[in-house]
Amino acid sequence: MSLASCLLLAAALFCVGLYGLLARRQIVAILLSIELMANAANLVFVAFGHYRGGALGQVFAVFSIALTVAEVAVGLALAMLLYRRHGDSRVELASEMKR
Amino acid sequence: MTPTTLALTTLVAPASAALVLAVVPGLRSRGWPAAALCILASVVSLGAALGVLSGCLADPTPSVLAVPWLRTSSVTVAEIGVRVDGVVASMLSVVTLVALSVQVFSLGYMHDEPRPAFGRYFAYHALFLLSMDVLVVAPNLLQLFAGWELVGVTSYLLIGFYYRKPSAARAAVKAFWVTKFADMGFLAGLLTLFVASGSFGWDAHLAPGTATVVTLLLFFAVVGKSAQFPLHVWLPDAMEGPTPVSALLHAATMVAAGVFLVVRADPLFAQAEATRTVMLVLGAATALFAALLALVQTDIKKVLAYSTCSQLGYMVAALGAGSMIGGFFHLTTHAFFKALLFLAAGSAIHAVHSNEIGDMGGLARRMPVTGGAFVVGALALAGVPGFSGFFSKDLVLEAVEGKLASLPWAALLATAFLTAFYMGRVVVVAFFGAPTGEKAERAHEPGWSMRGPLVVLGVLAAGGGVFAAPFAHLYGREYHFEMGVGPSLAAALAIGGFGAAYLVFGRAKGAPLPAPLALVDRVAKTSIVNRVYEVGYRRVALALADGLAWIDRYIVDGLINLLGYGTLEAGARARAVQTGLAPDYVLAAMLGVAGLAVWAVLR
Repeated sequence: MSLASCLLLAAALFCVGLYGLLARRQIVAILLSIELMANAANLVFVAFGHYRGGALGQVFAVFSIALTVAEVAVGLALAMLLYRRHGDSRVELASEMKR
Repeated sequence: MTPTTLALTTLVAPASAALVLAVVPGLRSRGWPAAALCILASVVSLGAALGVLSGCLADPTPSVLAVPWLRTSSVTVAEIGVRVDGVVASMLSVVTLVALSVQVFSLGYMHDEPRPAFGRYFAYHALFLLSMDVLVVAPNLLQLFAGWELVGVTSYLLIGFYYRKPSAARAAVKAFWVTKFADMGFLAGLLTLFVASGSFGWDAHLAPGTATVVTLLLFFAVVGKSAQFPLHVWLPDAMEGPTPVSALLHAATMVAAGVFLVVRADPLFAQAEATRTVMLVLGAATALFAALLALVQTDIKKVLAYSTCSQLGYMVAALGAGSMIGGFFHLTTHAFFKALLFLAAGSAIHAVHSNEIGDMGGLARRMPVTGGAFVVGALALAGVPGFSGFFSKDLVLEAVEGKLASLPWAALLATAFLTAFYMGRVVVVAFFGAPTGEKAERAHEPGWSMRGPLVVLGVLAAGGGVFAAPFAHLYGREYHFEMGVGPSLAAALAIGGFGAAYLVFGRAKGAPLPAPLALVDRVAKTSIVNRVYEVGYRRVALALADGLAWIDRYIVDGLINLLGYGTLEAGARARAVQTGLAPDYVLAAMLGVAGLAVWAVLR
């Protein structure tokens, strides 16, 4: 598998994630979309790491996965708070600062 | 000490007194310490001024001690300091002497005031003496202007001394406004002079047209300060102040500042014959007009106030005729006898508790010193031979004689008669005859603090004529007196005026005014000049102000408000962008990233 096809795959994954991020209203779905985009980035890390040689790409990918887990933990906590407050977790409910 | 150091002392002494009284608490509120400090400063000033005078009599060459003031990178715009010459020496002596007399007199006159008011009064006096000295010793017209404005402020403070009295507060404001209006002329004249000559000195050589403009503008300020027609209206109202204040500011010194300015700027005025003609006409007209008004006043201070206008008219006319020494010598003798008259009137008012001459009567018997002082002042003012006013008035008449078909001369001679007549009236009604009321019967002589200044000024008013020769010497001129036709005529008119007053008022007290006087009275009561100002103020000034206010409110403010409204509207529109929805922000961020990416590729 060539580097270009790996990158194309990653780009496609990223775009799918971006579409989800923009189009979905449920916070959990948005978090999943963000996860997709993050994994697209991880894929790029791994692909470049593989073709460049050495362990640097893999290290970064692992590091990034750890960060993503933390981010998802915070995001899910927010989603839960939103649900407790409003009985729903649609993202437009989190616009109280505006009002 | 050199003359300039002495002149500086006359500034430093009252300045220190005023400063200490301003900053040390308790001195003013206790009253007496303020009076003591103020009088001490005046004594020091008087001593220094007399030192300057004796120095100048010995050696009349001018000397200047000045430091640069208003320096820009390349030029020094003006200097600040002291200048000593004949004019300064004599004026300084007169100012400090009269100021000291008035302050000592005030010890008795203001004795019944509450302590804080008493202290405030003397603090103002110290400030006034400082301002007047700043004006007198000025080495250029800019510093003179500073002093000129300072005396305007102190005059305002002292006229409004009884500030709880609405009429006094109004009079203070009126005096301030009228003189301030005139001072615009001074400022404009100064600026024109500076543009034309590059300095504020009075010895510049100007083009004839410029000289006329500058001197006319300066003379406008003189008209205000020296209460000449038609800006004389503030002076009679200024009598609301305490009587010693009227004696010092509104008779002897401050109102004479206008005359002093013309004397000072004589080299400029000498270049403008047109201005001098205006001065001659206006001075003579004011002298006659104010003397007529003085005829029918029943308030003793108002008589003296109009008389002051009239005598200032004499001085202005003399200066207009080109006789600096005539105008200035009359200023000097007038300072003595008018201060004397006001203080004597103050003493009478203090005893009778009324300003009306109808409430007085027979005061001379009960108050011999006051009565004697007033009579001496009246004789000097009327120009009875031998008294100081005779010699100075003679110099004025001599200067004016033959100018402009002798019309001003005739007006001034008529004024001399009227002066004797109205002074005779006051003397006869207030000081002789029978007491008209209980108060006049119980009147008694005041204490020595009030009698002392009367005696000193009385001697000067009577014998001031002997100063004529040394006075002329200060200017490097000769003085000689001859009892020719003019002086004889003036003397006859003066004595005739007193005689006529005795005939009219001496016999039947309380009788109606003779027909010509009743007519003048009716005209005076209409106070036509004040009316003109009122109408001018209401119809012209207020209408103009309303118009300007409209422009300000709807056009100037309107533009600003429009700007503010536009900003608010734009903000409200722009707010819509901030939806508060996270996906929208993400979209915006993504579009931004996409934009940047496109830009990076296409660049």
